[in-house]
Amino acid sequence: MAARSAFRRALPWLPRSPVASSLRQAHHVPSQRPFSTSLSASTPNPSSSKDPSVPDYAIPDPSRPTHFGFQTVTEAEKRERVAGVFASVAESYDRMNDLMSFGWHRVWKDHFVASLNPGFSPLGDPPRAPQHILDIAGGTGDIAFRLLHTAHVVNGNPDVRVTMSDINRAMLTVGKHRAARQLPASQQAALSFVEANAEDLTKARPLVPYPPDHSTSPDEYTGSEQPFFDPATATTGIPDASVDLYTVAFGIRNFSNIPAALREARRVLKPGGVFACLEFSKVVSSHPAGALFDAVYKEWSFRAIPLIGQLVAADRDSYQYLVESIARFPSQDEFRDMILDAGFVVAGDGYENLTGGVAAIHKGMKPRE
Amino acid sequence: MSSPAIPRPASVAAMRRILRPARLPQRPVTATPESCRSVCSGAAATRPGALNASSLRSPPSRARIPRPHLQPAARSYHSHDHPPPPGPFTPAESALLSAAYKRVPEHGFTQEALALGARDAGLLEISPAVFPGDGVFALIRWHLYTQRTALADTVDEVAAGTPAGPAGVAERVERLTWERLRANEAIVGRWQEALAIMAQPSHIPASLGELAQLADDILYLAGDVSVDPSWYTKRASLSAIYAAAELFQTTDTSPGFRETRAFLQRRLAEAAQAGAAVRSVGQWAGFTAGAVVNVLRSKGLRI
Ligand SMILES: C[S@@+](CC[C@H](N)C(=O)[O-])C[C@H]1O[C@@H](n2cnc3c(N)ncnc32)[C@H](O)[C@@H]1O
Repeated sequence: MAARSAFRRALPWLPRSPVASSLRQAHHVPSQRPFSTSLSASTPNPSSSKDPSVPDYAIPDPSRPTHFGFQTVTEAEKRERVAGVFASVAESYDRMNDLMSFGWHRVWKDHFVASLNPGFSPLGDPPRAPQHILDIAGGTGDIAFRLLHTAHVVNGNPDVRVTMSDINRAMLTVGKHRAARQLPASQQAALSFVEANAEDLTKARPLVPYPPDHSTSPDEYTGSEQPFFDPATATTGIPDASVDLYTVAFGIRNFSNIPAALREARRVLKPGGVFACLEFSKVVSSHPAGALFDAVYKEWSFRAIPLIGQLVAADRDSYQYLVESIARFPSQDEFRDMILDAGFVVAGDGYENLTGGVAAIHKGMKPRE
Repeated sequence: MSSPAIPRPASVAAMRRILRPARLPQRPVTATPESCRSVCSGAAATRPGALNASSLRSPPSRARIPRPHLQPAARSYHSHDHPPPPGPFTPAESALLSAAYKRVPEHGFTQEALALGARDAGLLEISPAVFPGDGVFALIRWHLYTQRTALADTVDEVAAGTPAGPAGVAERVERLTWERLRANEAIVGRWQEALAIMAQPSHIPASLGELAQLADDILYLAGDVSVDPSWYTKRASLSAIYAAAELFQTTDTSPGFRETRAFLQRRLAEAAQAGAAVRSVGQWAGFTAGAVVNVLRSKGLRI
C-alpha cells in the first residue's frame, strides 16, 4: 500500500484524468500522505532557517517519534521504512521498464552508454581534460551509474564527473539512495544531484531530498511538499558551455516543450559537446519482419502493458499514459530534424535504431561557432 | 536487373558533373535514367571544390534530401546488390574524420585516432560519440571515399601520353589502379586491421559497395565506353584484382611497392587473357577472410 502510493507520488509527472483522480481519492483519501515528513520538518518555519541557533528538532534522535503514514514510529524505524519504500519504488520502476520493453531496456542502456564511451581518452599531449556529463531526467540513476562505471572503471579515467538532474525530487532521492547503496565511494564522490526542469536549466538547485530525511537539517530544508522542483527555490543554474556530454534516457517524451529542452541542451554544451538521447521510437515497418513486430508491439503496448500495470502497481492510467506518450513521440527522422533545428550537427542519419526501432538513439554535436 | 539499359553507376553521374575530361569519351547522356540522376546526386560532396551541398546536414545549408538510395529501377545489370554507397559526409563527420585521418598512420583506424583528431580539430574527446554506429568504420569509409574520389583529380596527369583505343583504356586502367594503390601508402601498415573491420557482417555491404564503386570509377575515368555485357565482367574482375593487389600490398616491403605493381600487372594481364572469370564477391570475401586470419594471428590466436 505504502509502496504503491509512494510509487505514484514518485511519478507525479503522470497526468491524472478526472476519473482517475476521483477514483484515487476514493481509494486513497486516508493515505494521501503515505509517509509524512518528520513532525518537525513537516511544519517548517520560514524564519527558523535564518536562526543561527540549531533548533533541537534538527538534532537527529533515533528514538524521537515521527510519522510514517498514519503510524507513529521512531525516527530510526522510519528511516528504515522510508528506505524500504524507496527500494520498492525503484523496484516497481524497474519492473515497469522491463514490461514496457520486454526487458530490453537494460540492453539498450548498456549499448547507449557503451556507444558514448565516456571518459575515453588516449594518453597524449596535452593531457586529457576532465569531462563533465549531465544526465537529464536521470530518475533513479540507471544511466548515470553506467556512465560512471564506464568512465572510471572501463576507461580508468577518474577525471569524469556526472551531474544527475531531474525535475522530480522523489525520483532523484531514490537515485541518491541507490547510489549510496550501490556505488563505490570514489564514484559517489564524482556524482552530484541537481533539481531542474530540462526546459530551463538556468534555474536549478542541489537536491533537497523528498521526502526530507534526517540527514537534511531543517535549516536547509526549504522545499515545499511538492515532489516537483519549484523554480522559485532555485539557487543555481547550469552555466553555458559547461558540459561535455548531455544524456537523456526515456525522459524526453515526457517534456512538455521538447524544442526548449533541446535549446537548453545546446546552451549548456561546450562546442564539440554531444547530445545523446535514448527513447522509445517508431518500429521500422518497411521491413516485413519489422511490420509484423510493429503490429505485435502495438497490440502489446496498448492492451497488455496497461493491464499488467494494473496488476503490478494498480495504476492503469499511468501505464496508459506511458504507452500513449510513446505513440505520440515523433518518428526517428522528425526527431532528428528537431535536433538539427536546435542547432546541432549530426553524423550519418543522426540516429541508430535498437531492436528494430522499438527504441532509438539520437545524437547531435554542438558545432564550433 | 535484367534491363539492358546503359549502366550508370552512382558515383560516375556525380563525378561527371564535376569532372568533364575533354579527351575522354562520354557516355551518351540521353541514356541517363532520370530516376538515377536524382538518386545519384550528392555522391561527391566532401572534396574541396565539389559543389554538391544538397545533402549536407547542417542547419544553415541543409536541404532535406534523402540519402542516396539505389531504386530498383535505377539498378541496371551491374547488379550492385548492395546498399547505397557511403555517400557524402555531413559537416560534423567531415570535421572529425578529416582530422582523425591524419592520426591514422600513427594510431590506426581506432577510437584513439578519432579522439585525438577531435582534439586537433578544436573539438572534444567525447565528440566522436556523435557517430550513430561505429566511428571507426566511418573513418575507414573516409579513406575509401576520399582516395577514390581523389582519382578524378589526378586523371589528366595519370592518363597523359596513353594512346587512344582499347590499348589506351587498358593502360589507363592499370595506371589508375596503381595510383589508387599508392594512395594507401600512408596507412598501409594499418590496412589489415581495417580489412578485418570491413569484413564484419554489418560492414560488408558498404565495403563491397565502395569496392564496386572504385572499379566503376577507374573504368569510367579510363574512358571505357563499352555498354555490352562485358561492362559487368570488367568491373567484377577489376574489383577482384584490386582487392587482391591491395592485400598483397599490406605485406609488400619492396621499395615503392614495386612488387605490388608487378602483381597488379600480372593479374590484369591474366584477366585480359582468360576473359575474366567473374568471382569478385567470392574472391573479395576470400581475400578479406585471409586478412582477418592474419590479424587474429598477429594478435596471438592460433589459427
Ligand atoms: C522514465 S524516467 C527515466 C529515468 C532514467 N533516465 C532511466 O532511463 O531509467 C523519466 C524521468 O523524466 C523526468 N522528467 C519528466 N519531465 C521532466 C522535465 N521537464 N525535466 C526534467 N526531468 C523530467 C521524470 O521525473 C522521470 O524521472
